Amino acid sequence: MKKQAIGAYRKFFKFLPIPFLRKYREWVRRAAVLFLCTVLILNFCACWNRRELNTLAIVLGTGLDVGNQPDTLELTAQVVRAGEMKSGGSSPDGSASAEKAFVNMQGTDKSVLAAVRGISHMANRRLYFPHNQVLIFSSELAKQDIAEGLDAFLRDYEARMNVHILVSKGKASEVLEEECELEKIPSVHISGMIENQESNSETVIVTMRDFAIAMLSGSTAPVAPMIEVHESGGKKRGKLEGTAVFKDGKMVGELDGMQTRGLMFATGKAKSSVITVDTKWGQVVLEMVHSRTSLEPVKAEDGSIRIELKINENGAIESNETTEDMSRLENLELLKKLGQEAIRSDVESALSQARSLSADVFGFGEAIRREYPEEWEKMKENWDEVFREIGLDVQVEVELRSTGGLTRPVTPGGAE
Amino acid sequence: MKLEKGCISGWEFLFSVFCFMQGTMLRSGFIISVTRNDSWAMAFTGLLLALPIVGIYAALLYSFPGKSLIEIDDIIFGPVLGKAVSILYLFFFLSLCALNTRDLGDFVVGYMMPETPIAAINLLFLLVCVYAIYKNMKTLLRLSIVFCILAVGAIVFNFILILKDVQVDFLKPFFRLPPMKYVQGTVSVTAVPMGEVLAFIMLAPMLKKSQKAGKPLLFGLTSSAVFMAVVILRDIITLGPLVSVVSLASFESVRYVSLAGVLTRMESLYAVVLIILFLFKVSILLYAFVLGLSELLNLKSYLPLTLLSASLVFFYSLFVFESVMENMNWGASTAPFFSLTFEFLLPAVSLLVACLRKVNSVSEVKS
Repeated sequence: MKKQAIGAYRKFFKFLPIPFLRKYREWVRRAAVLFLCTVLILNFCACWNRRELNTLAIVLGTGLDVGNQPDTLELTAQVVRAGEMKSGGSSPDGSASAEKAFVNMQGTDKSVLAAVRGISHMANRRLYFPHNQVLIFSSELAKQDIAEGLDAFLRDYEARMNVHILVSKGKASEVLEEECELEKIPSVHISGMIENQESNSETVIVTMRDFAIAMLSGSTAPVAPMIEVHESGGKKRGKLEGTAVFKDGKMVGELDGMQTRGLMFATGKAKSSVITVDTKWGQVVLEMVHSRTSLEPVKAEDGSIRIELKINENGAIESNETTEDMSRLENLELLKKLGQEAIRSDVESALSQARSLSADVFGFGEAIRREYPEEWEKMKENWDEVFREIGLDVQVEVELRSTGGLTRPVTPGGAE
Repeated sequence: MKLEKGCISGWEFLFSVFCFMQGTMLRSGFIISVTRNDSWAMAFTGLLLALPIVGIYAALLYSFPGKSLIEIDDIIFGPVLGKAVSILYLFFFLSLCALNTRDLGDFVVGYMMPETPIAAINLLFLLVCVYAIYKNMKTLLRLSIVFCILAVGAIVFNFILILKDVQVDFLKPFFRLPPMKYVQGTVSVTAVPMGEVLAFIMLAPMLKKSQKAGKPLLFGLTSSAVFMAVVILRDIITLGPLVSVVSLASFESVRYVSLAGVLTRMESLYAVVLIILFLFKVSILLYAFVLGLSELLNLKSYLPLTLLSASLVFFYSLFVFESVMENMNWGASTAPFFSLTFEFLLPAVSLLVACLRKVNSVSEVKS
């Protein structure tokens, strides 16, 4: 069968000097194979879209500000300087290296992509976004419109959905200039800082995906953590504080740290948190390690819907600044009660702030849509008013599992 | 070279069907844009609707053991009309081949090499398919078990890695869309991935017992429906409402994986597996076309046709759609009707005529 096929080909290539080829057949075959292999190897580097590392400007953080001309925005791209990353904080001769490990490139134009193109007029390398870790909107821009910047970053095939979104109180470009000591690059510092917020539950952690999901919902108000540059010890440092609340694609207000914690408790995002309670003997600090939240809409007999929020916290006594023995069961009950009150007041404070902004940061609307779609159809038209009125039952349960390494406080003469 | 008979086992056939179906994962986006957060259920309703179709195929294969689709047509409809019907089938295989090649090209261009012309990718891809056919199809079918492990492994691996970022609530509320949407979704699933197993009727004579092709077909389809549901479920619980907005849901959800800053950027893994599965699928479709064509033209060997057909597919795939948007529009509106004509209507008519004329291979031999 194979011979037939070869015969057909031979007939086809009659015009070629076949006898010559036959003589050197083995040689020709080898040459052809070698040639093919070479061509294939050349193809491995994917010729069209090759990107050599030394032609890329790897962006680690992006900031968006309002531009100085009307209707423009200013994009700050933080590009890593790989050579400086390696050299360490100070050079071997002891003098501190003056070179920063990053460069902030700025472009101003009417849209994000135009600004990126604008930067290419000033740089020999091409901005490369897949390693972008943070996207910072200045609150000034966020108050105008956030959708434009977001769409460009979500749509681009290079962009990823797990980029952290932040809102800066001042200019975003200033945040990207912050002086950090533990990291060489502010963007890396900021994204690490965000991941570290799990330990205090006072800052929301929001990726592009979370933000987009909240935005797509008709009722939920997207939130993003806020960052601020403040001076301490002559250095400008970034600090995460509070939460920006969005509605209809614009920033409409803020939640402070405690309200943010209330929000995190209510949405079940809180991981560990520290609650300081005042007893009549002094301060006691409780550390919550596990948190479980269930947010459920319940339908009353008359057809109205209430939200039932159950928060279950589980933790330990972390420090006891009083002289009282807190391991006694009646004191434990008292601490639990105080802890519950603290959490409840956080949640209620967040709720009242959300109501005053008429922004459903908790996702009550989504919860109702999921559980009672028919009722939701009726109330979604005037959800803003319903949200302000909707009843919320908060049940907080605090469990204290241990008193840490000490049972009684170490006080003068406490051994007696 | 004729089709080798009786060289693969039922299990290999089953895994081949499974891999063939998994290659269509990319198209899950069409279903998700219709039925949103209930799309996972469409895998099962689609399977239910596909059962009668598979039943028809199995009945055809049962009544004509060891015969391929083209020969069956000749027996049922006679030499002239049979040829006409066969040409219709061949056109369908050719179109499927081109559409799938186009899908792969769009995927690679859209997500990995945006500046590369789609022609370069399609050409290289088809060359590999041709190579696979030259090197004997049964080898590829036997390899299906390896591809199957790869595909299942990638799905399970990605599913586990994404678990920390999912929110099961996204699945609620269940089944709140207008009923027509579910009908549309079900028909889509039945027509576009499931019915395409029609190509396996061409391969059935390769089975050791071609009369028993029904069972591996059915189990292959069922297992692929299960994994299809798993993949769609994963996309929905990872992306929530975003799932119907992004252009490639499973790619985006794999992209979201980020575990301890180490296990990130898994999409390359996904892309490799996907390209392998596509390769498998297009090879089978191309093979079905080439084999059918050689039988139609009474050629001794299908090999000389392979490269020629591949070049036909290549040009077809280039001009079949102008843009991804056109592709999506086709997938959402016309594709199910186009496919069902060949997948359901023609075989059903064949079976009906066969029953009415009371022909089967035995009587053919006698006459």
